[in-house]
Amino acid sequence: MANLNIDSEKNRTYDAIVIGSGISGGWSAKELCEKGLKTLVLERGRDVQHIKDYPTTNMMPWEFEHRNEMPFKVKEENPIVSKCYAFHEDAAHFFVKDKEHPYIQEKPFDWIRGYQVGGKSLLWARQTQRWSDFDFEGPARDGFAVDWPIRYADLAPWYAYVEKFAGIAGNHDGLPELPDGEFLPGYPLNIVEKYFKESVQKKFPERKVISARCAHLSKPNQIHIEQGRVQCQNRVLCQRGCPFGGYFSSNATTIPWAAKTGNMTLRPFSVVHSILYDEQKGKAVGVRVIDTNTKEEIDFYAKLIFVNAAAINTNLILLNSKSNRFPNGLGNDSGVLGKYVAFHNYSARIYAEYEGLLDFTAEGRNPAGGGYIPRFRNLHKQETDFLRGYAAGFGASRSKESDRSGLGLDLKNNLLNPKLGVWQVGSHMMGETIPKESGMVSLDSSKKDDWGIPLLKIAVDYDENDEKMKKDYIAVMTEMFTDAGFTNIRPDTHWQAPGLDIHEMGGARMGHDPKTSVLNKWNQMHAVKNVFVTDGASMTSTSTQNPSLTYMAFSARSVDYAISEMKKGNI
Amino acid sequence: MNRRTAIKQFFIIAGGLTILSSCLNDGGASIVLNKLKISAEDEQFLGDLANILIPKSDTPGGKDLNLHLFVIKMVDDCESPENQAKFVAGFNKLRKQLNLANSKETEAALAGLKDKTDEKAFFDIFKSRAVQGYMNSEYVMKNKVIYKLIPGPYNGAVKVKA
Repeated sequence: MANLNIDSEKNRTYDAIVIGSGISGGWSAKELCEKGLKTLVLERGRDVQHIKDYPTTNMMPWEFEHRNEMPFKVKEENPIVSKCYAFHEDAAHFFVKDKEHPYIQEKPFDWIRGYQVGGKSLLWARQTQRWSDFDFEGPARDGFAVDWPIRYADLAPWYAYVEKFAGIAGNHDGLPELPDGEFLPGYPLNIVEKYFKESVQKKFPERKVISARCAHLSKPNQIHIEQGRVQCQNRVLCQRGCPFGGYFSSNATTIPWAAKTGNMTLRPFSVVHSILYDEQKGKAVGVRVIDTNTKEEIDFYAKLIFVNAAAINTNLILLNSKSNRFPNGLGNDSGVLGKYVAFHNYSARIYAEYEGLLDFTAEGRNPAGGGYIPRFRNLHKQETDFLRGYAAGFGASRSKESDRSGLGLDLKNNLLNPKLGVWQVGSHMMGETIPKESGMVSLDSSKKDDWGIPLLKIAVDYDENDEKMKKDYIAVMTEMFTDAGFTNIRPDTHWQAPGLDIHEMGGARMGHDPKTSVLNKWNQMHAVKNVFVTDGASMTSTSTQNPSLTYMAFSARSVDYAISEMKKGNI
Repeated sequence: MNRRTAIKQFFIIAGGLTILSSCLNDGGASIVLNKLKISAEDEQFLGDLANILIPKSDTPGGKDLNLHLFVIKMVDDCESPENQAKFVAGFNKLRKQLNLANSKETEAALAGLKDKTDEKAFFDIFKSRAVQGYMNSEYVMKNKVIYKLIPGPYNGAVKVKA
């Protein structure tokens, strides 16, 4: 009997465990497996295999039962996920429905989740901009959160490393605030986006409109072909999963690469309950999992644990990992675990029309989505009545529209002969928000989910800084649109809850000081040296750039460090 | 109140005025519906209406493309209960006023719905759903206003042909 137990425990022991298989977990898995560690990858949802499990990927519009519209009943039963722009018939199967994993909104928060192998990497908007020292130095310069324990130079080689493998399309723009990377050819701005860029440049030379950088194979290299991926076909149906592997997802890229090493064991349907801490050893020794099919509780063991459950679920796991040594959650000596959660302010957009350049149109679809305006507010010094600033997307398009008035043969004729309209232009803000102690997630003391894990309470909100920034964005864009001769300018400031940006960050932030942060400069727990957090939970501040590329770089960098520490016998 | 009860009650209330009334025994719609009660006769009427909205010419008309079934399906699954009630109420009023055998007369009647709130509410939903179905139909997307799954390279500055 005793022997059986030992055998069983041995069978459940690996060199490393990665919790989560999304963008950051996929990277952790790939790096660990490539470096020879037997790695268990735990995924709470089902398996989604590249191509095979993309049921809608080649469907034509008329093949969708409701032409891609979600039925009223589904929307009524899922008020949260229904707000997400990509929740339609073609991708609904990759989203978590509201009832599947409830949480408590102490303040309104739209928590958008993808529980499957690949996580939200199947669904993301694929925007990949590097951070710069204007971002990493932000908290220290402007006196909020805590100082980042790293600078751009620490991360730059790792950005390059992940970019080469993932495949990032972009131009070398030479902007210190948005450093260039290892780029595949960028997607072009269209003629009106270019016109706007020039119009802005004339009056505000410090404001740049560049091609958005994105994780698409505009021109694959050998390494991408080796992954089984080919050139992006500009379908822009990415949320369905791409049969070409045209964009970066864990499913197309890191997970199969990790599997190929023979070192990965992928275990879907495994909700992590907690990380097991051994007081004698002063280390984490494993992970407790609930099998979602059998509800069985199973412990797995490893010397090294990477937590990549996505920002909020990573907080949930750490908070629920209680022991005598850590009664308030693993590694939470500081008491800041779950706190200083922030997000991106996406609550303003602006639209207009342009009646110039009507001799031209654009053809095809742009995977990058158009232009990107890096942050220019308060960049070199504080100059407004709010802290930090915003980046913005900018896009122009011209489509053929049919006159839908009338009926009978006239209507039919009009419908079948759509005519080019004027140019439609639009922009959305991506504002940096300031992490605050009050922006927090915590565990409910009594309510539990289907797996016996406490429900998460989320209390994250906008503040006055966000309101001022939003006003500034609208004023600035209105002015630049007016200068460009755009007409019918329509600001849209309808409120949206935090979370819908799907850029929630923080809770287990990095910092120099164990008294005020959870992780050190290697994304390693100050207090538990064999636990690393390399997803959004580790973020000290939010900056304005889409964060995923930074998580990829963190994961690769931390694995490299962890393995060198293991070799030295420090882990 | 559970959902099923709620739906039932909606039909008793809405049903008093509606489609449900005289047509119970002459067979139902040819597609499975969860909420709307549509008889074969209603369906026939909506099909004729679809053909007046988008008539058959050298290309198929609304009825040939089953746009009326698409409308019913979308109203049944995708419209709110409020819009479903409007659709049903307006339909019952309007169908008594139309003589679909005379398409000229019907076109004139439909063009003059401005002041008839209920009838207009029905027809607005009918028309917008029928047009949606038409533009997203296999026939139109393959033969007329062509949809390409793979659109080819992106070109951001194409000279418009005169």
